Amino acid sequence: MAKELSEGSRYAGLTHETLDAQSMMDRVRSPKAGAIVLFAGTTRDNFAGKPVKELQYTSYEPRALQSMLNICTAVHEKHSLTAIAMIHRLGVVPIGEESILIAVSSPHRQAAWRAGEEALEECKEKVEVWKREEFGGGEGGIWRANRDGAVGVRIDRDEKETDPGPGPETNGPVLRPGRLGERGHGPVVARLDPRSEKATKSTPIIE
Amino acid sequence: MSLATKAPPGHFSILYFASASSYTAKDTEHLPAPLPVSKLFDRLEEKYAGIKSRVLESCLLTVNLEYVDMPDDGSVGLVIKEGDEVAIIPPVSSG
Repeated sequence: MAKELSEGSRYAGLTHETLDAQSMMDRVRSPKAGAIVLFAGTTRDNFAGKPVKELQYTSYEPRALQSMLNICTAVHEKHSLTAIAMIHRLGVVPIGEESILIAVSSPHRQAAWRAGEEALEECKEKVEVWKREEFGGGEGGIWRANRDGAVGVRIDRDEKETDPGPGPETNGPVLRPGRLGERGHGPVVARLDPRSEKATKSTPIIE
Repeated sequence: MSLATKAPPGHFSILYFASASSYTAKDTEHLPAPLPVSKLFDRLEEKYAGIKSRVLESCLLTVNLEYVDMPDDGSVGLVIKEGDEVAIIPPVSSG
């Protein structure tokens, strides 16, 4: 059963079940909307070419749901959407299956395309969900971080010595000294890039 | 369920996620309250040697689901109270 938070035509969900694209589209479907854009994020079988055996997601559920709903609300308002729905899967997600679905509807397609992308980027930056990639073969796994240059931490606690991992060219676990209290990612205030807002406003709507 | 059990009197709950959970080998525990947030990382470093540089420095902190600032001007900052729910938030990786 999904854990959910919704307000008006905004919906956020977390579930251990298989995601269902049709039901997410139906959540945002409306006679007022001429477009539904659906994004489905699926799990890859490799990390920079290294085979990934299994992926697992964990979450700080009440905090993550609130962040997801905040993002939905901000994007909804900015693009004058009809509706927006976002759901993330937790637990083990078999390779090739959906880990996230975002559905947005709006009167015209341009707003829906933009809103869908923005909602995803905001989600990847802020929502309190963590992905663990298991490599298998006794190699353990790592907690991934979406932010560029963020710390990748090996799961094995005994392995205290820093493992530089693959070089930057492989996007491997990047270990670098951090500053105390450094912002790993901003507080969730549903902040959107003011530049893109301006750009959006000045873009003529093409019918 | 990731939420902590209710803390005993004089304690607060702390939740560990992702790398913080791996490092402490725990999802949650109870620590004595009150405790200023400015002392929290030092407190955890005493319990889990190396955690500050390996994990905490890239993390954010929530108290009762709200993000709080770690004071960097030497001030005490927010004080964690009995019964509060604190969480260590490593860099996220949703999607």
